[in-house]
Amino acid sequence: MRRISIRRGLLAGAALGVGILLAACSGGTGGNAGTVSGGKYTGPAVTISFWNGWTGGAAPVLVPKLIAQFNKEHKNIVVKDVPIEWGNIAAKMPLAIKAGKGPDVAVLHGDDIATYAAQGLLLKSDAIVKSLGYADADFPTGLLKAGNYQGSQYAIPWSVTPLGLYINKDVLKKAGLDENAVPTDQASYVKALDALKAKGVQGEWVDGFVFTGTFEFESLVWQFGGQLYNSDVSKATFNSDAGVKALTWMSDLVKKGYSPAKVAQDGNINALIGGKTAFNWNGVWQTTNDAFSKVSWTAAPVPQIGTQKAVWSSSTHWVFPANKGQDPNKTKASATFVQWMNDHSLDWASTGELPAQNSVRNDASLLTKYPNLKTFLGELDYAHYETVSPGIANANATITTAVNEAVLGKKSPKQALDDAVAQANQLLDQNKAQYGG
Amino acid sequence: MVNTALPTLAPGSSRSRGAGVRRRTGTAYLFLAPFLILFTIFVIAPAVFGLWISLHLWNPLIPSQPFVGLRNYIQLFTPGSLTSGDFWQSMQNTGIFTIGSVPLLVIIPLVIAALLNNKIRGGSVFRAIFFAPYVLGVAVIGVIWKYLLDPQLGVLNHVLGALGLPSDIPWTVDVPWAWFTLIGVTVWWTLGFNTVIILAGLKGISPDLYDAASVDGAGTMRKFFSVTLPGLRPVMMFVTTVTILASANMFGQSYLITRGGPGHATRTAIQYIADEGLSQNQMGAASAMSYVLFAFLAVISIINFRLQRERN
Repeated sequence: MRRISIRRGLLAGAALGVGILLAACSGGTGGNAGTVSGGKYTGPAVTISFWNGWTGGAAPVLVPKLIAQFNKEHKNIVVKDVPIEWGNIAAKMPLAIKAGKGPDVAVLHGDDIATYAAQGLLLKSDAIVKSLGYADADFPTGLLKAGNYQGSQYAIPWSVTPLGLYINKDVLKKAGLDENAVPTDQASYVKALDALKAKGVQGEWVDGFVFTGTFEFESLVWQFGGQLYNSDVSKATFNSDAGVKALTWMSDLVKKGYSPAKVAQDGNINALIGGKTAFNWNGVWQTTNDAFSKVSWTAAPVPQIGTQKAVWSSSTHWVFPANKGQDPNKTKASATFVQWMNDHSLDWASTGELPAQNSVRNDASLLTKYPNLKTFLGELDYAHYETVSPGIANANATITTAVNEAVLGKKSPKQALDDAVAQANQLLDQNKAQYGG
Repeated sequence: MVNTALPTLAPGSSRSRGAGVRRRTGTAYLFLAPFLILFTIFVIAPAVFGLWISLHLWNPLIPSQPFVGLRNYIQLFTPGSLTSGDFWQSMQNTGIFTIGSVPLLVIIPLVIAALLNNKIRGGSVFRAIFFAPYVLGVAVIGVIWKYLLDPQLGVLNHVLGALGLPSDIPWTVDVPWAWFTLIGVTVWWTLGFNTVIILAGLKGISPDLYDAASVDGAGTMRKFFSVTLPGLRPVMMFVTTVTILASANMFGQSYLITRGGPGHATRTAIQYIADEGLSQNQMGAASAMSYVLFAFLAVISIINFRLQRERN
């Protein structure tokens, strides 16, 4: 009963809270407030609030240190660091911005930017980008554009997190393979998997979950020359030939005995750490996994299974919220802060993410301090970022369902993808109807 | 919860009606008022507001919330619509879980309580042991069992393999095993609560009745069926009702252990409603689903009351 009543209470409380907030902001701003230019901030002293989801890992130590340094160097700006769990940011920030109580600057994931922008929650930051002197060439290919929605820039890149191939070298050695020979294409990858199989080792455990089966699938779709969605994101296209090839490759890993049949989420990375498998497609964030300290491992670029090089990457970006009554001075000060942070982002690598700014990644001291990241830097030339479209998360979820069903053998790859695309197209229509665009 | 579940007393026809009764009723309402205010603010008002939301296309992130009448409900009952297939699958999943878990969560605690009710050495220790898992939050038990039941790396499959049994059972990844997992974990987790309630009920049965039954020559089983069970009737009705509602509201276990998979085969109604409302921001459709679920649970609860009502 305790369990029930607590849950009831929470739900009721949440419903009420939402209700009050909704009532409070039903008259909120609908469209965009004007545009604001950035540059070196010279105005009156301001305090700006900065929301971010950095509540775990190395960030809670690193970020306050950076901000303290920034505040010391800038007499007329005080940055207030407000770390909030990502889930809570999603729940609170839109309503807070509408009520004029949101942050002056925030960091969002790439796939959220369009959703916020479509609702008029973000300032158009073309002028800021220009005044800070940022151009496409300052970031990995296509990353600045990942913050562009309907011709306007809404975000400035902060970090990228591509997928890579993690390798347990001891497992390779035990199977009689050269532990330093990294598979780079389909032929060498299959050869390694076959050699491992001959020794009774299932070389790549494929899973059907977001982490990381979906990321692997999306990488493969692009490798086979496909796209997840058409160019204006009005139709899902991941059931194309490329998509079917990608998912068939994954389910064949099971059929051909390179992978166990029913792998749980994170089962594969745990198996790699435990010495039961040799390869795992996983994100750069795993480089900070403490469990690796006992393993002889390396990371390589994901092998090219399809016809071209491609790899999935997510990204995070700076945004300037369009609070009701936003003070332009605060936004200007925020722009100064963003540029300073990007210039000082080298140690962001300690959180298992790559700094987005090219000049920082090209700094030789980055690899001296974080040698494990070398592999991932090279991948950024052909990385693909999250789809930019409002409300896209619901359509993306159907991809995971398809991957799950196919990898578990519940449906054929083609059937699973066709079903998911049918659902995704309905969701895209719904998104279009609700968010416009 | 207890108040609503226990049968209310028949109106006092033998008592004298009049001012005295009315004054006493007034006093009762006065004492109930503080709770009633909270109940109104936190349960009734949100419930009514939810009904209002369910009649709109209610996405809290967009500026306008257009009124759509019964469209959200009609879509749920229109095969092939965006929500109906997923919703009814999740309702079916909730049904499977409820049917699988409730009998176990009523019978096993009853047996354990009956055993613990004997004067045995270390009775309170056993009581604590059975109750202990209930203290843990769903996040904790979810993570623990996900590790123990991992198909390839988990302890259970390892032990099964060591015993010469199949060691590749996908406990958390494929049906029907995922249902055994979800039901088993839930029974392990919450049976202590039902046990304690039933135990309290057992303590409330007068020992005289057992003595009398013994004098009449009743054996252990006969006493259980003729004295214990009838004496427990109100308690059992409470336990059954609460357990049905709790099982029908299952969310955390499948969210954490199976992620609703394979596909959506173990995604429960609450899980789908939460996803639709909170992740996809379709509050209107989610509210409509909540009301359909509510209607189902209300009917089941009424049937349950009828079945177990004390016969005069």
